[in-house]
Amino acid sequence: MDFDVVAHGIVAGSLYALVAVSFNILYRPTNVFNFAQGELVMLGAMIFASITSLAGMPWFVAFAATLIAVGLIGLVEERVAVAPILARSQTGTGWVITTLAVSLIISNLVGRVWGPDPILVKPPQPLSMETLDLGPSHLSSYEIALVLVTIVLVAIVESAYRTLKGKAVMAVAEDREAALLRGIDPGSLGRWSFFLGAAFAAMTGILAAPILYASTALGPDLLLKGFAAAAVGSIGNNRGALIAGYIIGITEAVGASLLSPGYQEAVIFIVVLTVLLVRPQGLFGSPNARTV
Amino acid sequence: MMPLRAAAPLALQAAALAVALALPAFVGANSYALFVATQLGIYTIAAIGLNLLSGYAGQVSLGHAAFVAIGAYSVALLTVDHHWSFWAAAAVGMGLAAGLGVLAALPAFRLNTWYFAFITLAFALVFEKMIVEWRWLTKGFAGVVGVPPPSAFGYEFGPRPLYYTVVLVTIVAFVIVRNIIDSRFGRIFVAVRDVEPAALAVGASPQRTKLVAFVISAALAGIAGAFFAVQKTVVTPDDFTADFSIFFLLTIVLGGLGTLWGPIIGALVFFLIPELLTGMESWRMFIYGVILLGLMLFAPHGLYGALRQAWRRLTPPTPRAPAEVAQRTEHPPIAGLSLEISGLSKRFGGVLALDGVEFSAPAGSCCAIVGPNGSGKTTLLNLASGYYKPDAGSVKIGGIETLGSSAQKIAARGVGRTFQTPRLIAGLTALDNVVLGAFMRERASLLSIALRLPYARQEARRLREEALGFLHFVGVADRAETEAGETPHGQQRLIEIARAMMGGTRLILLDEPAAGLSMVELERLELLIRRICNLGATIVIVEHHLDLVANIASYVVVLDHGTALAAGKPASVFNDARVMRAYMGERALQAAAPA
Repeated sequence: MDFDVVAHGIVAGSLYALVAVSFNILYRPTNVFNFAQGELVMLGAMIFASITSLAGMPWFVAFAATLIAVGLIGLVEERVAVAPILARSQTGTGWVITTLAVSLIISNLVGRVWGPDPILVKPPQPLSMETLDLGPSHLSSYEIALVLVTIVLVAIVESAYRTLKGKAVMAVAEDREAALLRGIDPGSLGRWSFFLGAAFAAMTGILAAPILYASTALGPDLLLKGFAAAAVGSIGNNRGALIAGYIIGITEAVGASLLSPGYQEAVIFIVVLTVLLVRPQGLFGSPNARTV
Repeated sequence: MMPLRAAAPLALQAAALAVALALPAFVGANSYALFVATQLGIYTIAAIGLNLLSGYAGQVSLGHAAFVAIGAYSVALLTVDHHWSFWAAAAVGMGLAAGLGVLAALPAFRLNTWYFAFITLAFALVFEKMIVEWRWLTKGFAGVVGVPPPSAFGYEFGPRPLYYTVVLVTIVAFVIVRNIIDSRFGRIFVAVRDVEPAALAVGASPQRTKLVAFVISAALAGIAGAFFAVQKTVVTPDDFTADFSIFFLLTIVLGGLGTLWGPIIGALVFFLIPELLTGMESWRMFIYGVILLGLMLFAPHGLYGALRQAWRRLTPPTPRAPAEVAQRTEHPPIAGLSLEISGLSKRFGGVLALDGVEFSAPAGSCCAIVGPNGSGKTTLLNLASGYYKPDAGSVKIGGIETLGSSAQKIAARGVGRTFQTPRLIAGLTALDNVVLGAFMRERASLLSIALRLPYARQEARRLREEALGFLHFVGVADRAETEAGETPHGQQRLIEIARAMMGGTRLILLDEPAAGLSMVELERLELLIRRICNLGATIVIVEHHLDLVANIASYVVVLDHGTALAAGKPASVFNDARVMRAYMGERALQAAAPA
């Protein structure tokens, strides 16, 4: 087997890990798993692609603008499609259907506005997609940077949870009412987490665009692979998501090279099912107690 | 004469049936109308199954198209390539849809509901890819062409007989699902969807419950797929995209999730929408999304729910005669189970919630556990009933070690419990909540329930009478037909006790039954506990109300910071200086002490 296959698996896996982390940011205080997350990633890539290549905005300005724009869309999603459902029942799963509905709306609107053609996005200077000859592997400078940036981002997100605000998020995830009694406002944390989770998804889209192109096809694909990484790495565990992202990325790449590219999804699906069957809580989580 | 309120829905049902049966007489055999009507029936079959799974059991399937596809491809390949008869191939399709589905969804049943949604979504995607990938089997994008119509006794089914067959299967599916919903399976589906701890408390396994719902649902999708194949005569991968799955979901949300008529109304309306939307084809998924979102927000019970509400407003309910109160039945004596706990420890992270606690309740006794908030009382109860896994110690129920057994297994041994906040299924009547308690005692099989065989009907009737007897026993028989969510708090507690007794429980664990009760209710509770004890059941009660405890308990354990502070007869325990200190604090004690 080629070392190159593994290297490309790690690059793809980094993107899956980022999607999984964006799931986790949203999930921790709200216990909602956003089915529109893939479309938010896609939206980030499309908006960024348009304002850099069409409007010619500088990289960093476009980056910030995209994050804020998509973050606000996440906020709107929370207000319209999630908060009313949670207000009706904390335990119900109506939000599965409403967030799915949001994903249908976003993907259709984006398809109308941008059309089906993928948009090429250039990486920021001085990085490029030119393949470097690095002995056994052939990666571009951008791909190497992406792998490193992913590790740094996971570390930043993890350290954010160690701050007071981060602990408040964990407290709400654990017991919403108890947190409320201690003066934490779960509603405000829910809004923030949707804003930040959506912004993080947009950033994932921006980072993915030079490799995967910006297109509407990005959404469903990254939704499922991000879910795979989040589930295998234990929901809520960001370091777990990083390692699980690598596992998913490498399995996919190896599976595709050994069988045929058509088997990519099937191989990932079987890995996820096997892990969940053996360890329902994922590889890096502990089974949590039910409370009555 | 039947009152309008009851007669109108019956008339509507009869009219719908008449229209369905008379339709072929008015349209040509090869007409578009008949084709659409057949298709409508096929989609309704799948939607009825999806509604059972997603509406009643609460498991949202986002990949239902894949199960329809399995049925369709089974029939297409077996009849075209292997010349099987349609009926045998359809049976195989049903089995395959259920079997493959279970294989994929098995890990999800132990997990949060949304895992199931994701896994079915992924399953549908993978299945779609595999149809294309396995060209040697499925002929790839070209699809399977020329699926022959079904035949029986040498007679080949034309469009009209096919239509009648589909109508018949739809009616059978509807009746079977209705019978199942109106049985212990239906009640447990709703319990698993709304209040999982209640399902565990009556001894049901949530995993197995979800599995049953899923198998029925996937099998119905499979049979729908079988008819899909013969009706279209061509089966291609393009028929079973993700959009198709969304379509089924939208159908049942539109009609009304978790309502019997929802899928039928939804499918009917849905077939009108595309006609209205011609010219807006490219906006279809957007419109689907907006409708889904709007319905979930503003009409969670869909069109059926809205119609029902309007109907209720138009016809004020005739005051229903309260369910005839059963004769004051003599309740047979109960052989109480003993509970012996030794060295029980439980740690939550850094907190030692219980530290080597000893406790025993002899068979037929009434014992109490008291202690300040956070002393570990409820933790003890949760460990004894299997809701938590202990770190060390032993729990013997009736002399048999049950440590580490699951909650539903312990419940099935004859251990009933109530919860700090009552865990009733709000949407079911008080009576149905009590009948739910008998889940483990019911013997009628799924098949005899689905077909409403005499045995199943007799058992259901007998259990309803018994449940009414228990409601009477606890003193809320007049609420039998009220939705549990609408009964006052104090009565919910009593209904919960009746549910526990209905399960044939021999050891009852009561978690703060007196919390939030009025003085009158408190007296009734005390009397009730005495009566249960007199029947012979063992009662373990966790309670703050010390007067109640002093009156009914023969033995009391005081917990403080996870250890047993004192134990013995209530009179002596409550005068123990350490107990008074734990409850009232050092200073209060000194102030109260005679100088």
